[in-house]
Amino acid sequence: MTRVRVASALLGAGFGFLLSWAHFVDPDQIRRMLLLQEPYMWEMFATAVAVGFVAIRLMRRARVRSLLTGEPIAWSVARPERRHVVGATIFGIGWAVSDVCPGPLVALVGQGILWTLPLLVGVALGVALYVRREEGPAPARVPRERPGVRGVAGPLPASNPD
Amino acid sequence: MSHALLHRPAWYVIGPLIGLVVVAAFALINERVGVVGGISDVVERATGRRPVLGWKAWFVFGIAGGAIVFRLLAGGATARTGHGFSWLTRELTGGGGQVIAGGVLLGAGVLIGFGAKKAAGCTSGNGLGGCSAGSPASLVATGTFMAVAIAVSFLIRAVT
Repeated sequence: MTRVRVASALLGAGFGFLLSWAHFVDPDQIRRMLLLQEPYMWEMFATAVAVGFVAIRLMRRARVRSLLTGEPIAWSVARPERRHVVGATIFGIGWAVSDVCPGPLVALVGQGILWTLPLLVGVALGVALYVRREEGPAPARVPRERPGVRGVAGPLPASNPD
Repeated sequence: MSHALLHRPAWYVIGPLIGLVVVAAFALINERVGVVGGISDVVERATGRRPVLGWKAWFVFGIAGGAIVFRLLAGGATARTGHGFSWLTRELTGGGGQVIAGGVLLGAGVLIGFGAKKAAGCTSGNGLGGCSAGSPASLVATGTFMAVAIAVSFLIRAVT
């Protein structure tokens, strides 16, 4: 489990570094993207997805196993439901107003940009509101997960990609 | 070093590099990247809903760490600091205006957090991870939030 945490943190560090380097964290650049004034972000996003789309299929076809978990590389997909459209609509409004989405938000916090603090508090409140609405009040006490037992703590289905 | 980092690389360089993060997440831990899930992990841990932090929380901590490393190496931020942060903080000037801007950002954050949880992903979880996996739900969610954000951006420009 520790190795997975370290790997996750290193993956995140690479992601945060690249988001910063790409200026994905710059609200003005996101605004120009959303006002269709420059293609840079769209081209970057499309090539990132294209690389991911092709490479993970090649790994699955070659029956590659994940380095740390030993599992065959695989994933599940979900059918579109009303919640995906409603949620994405709400998300899109917030994104357009702030010109910051969650990955860049966390990177901006790391870069020490103070204006991200109200946004970060808002995102945490929005998440807490959703979780409380879906699952009810928090339990008084949650038993601690035993080492090596995976998935005990997960309140969402494994296919949930958020 | 710092000069090179403060200028964004070509899209055909940075795009594949970001795609490789998606690939590495599968290659190392067989998981789909996502950021709101990590923020949710932290929120759920803080409110006693989760006994331990999941891998996505560590991914989120890593993003902040990577941005710190970037800033140290680059010698500066890649977003404007102070009141020039975004269109919102530039439009709403003065003491009262800045308070309102903070309130609007807080409200926008609530929409982002709630909406991304409901849609089961944000630009990373649905946009990068979900679309790379070819998930129909992620494709629909990504198309929806892109279209809505474009429409709302044009609306904001029309009224400001």
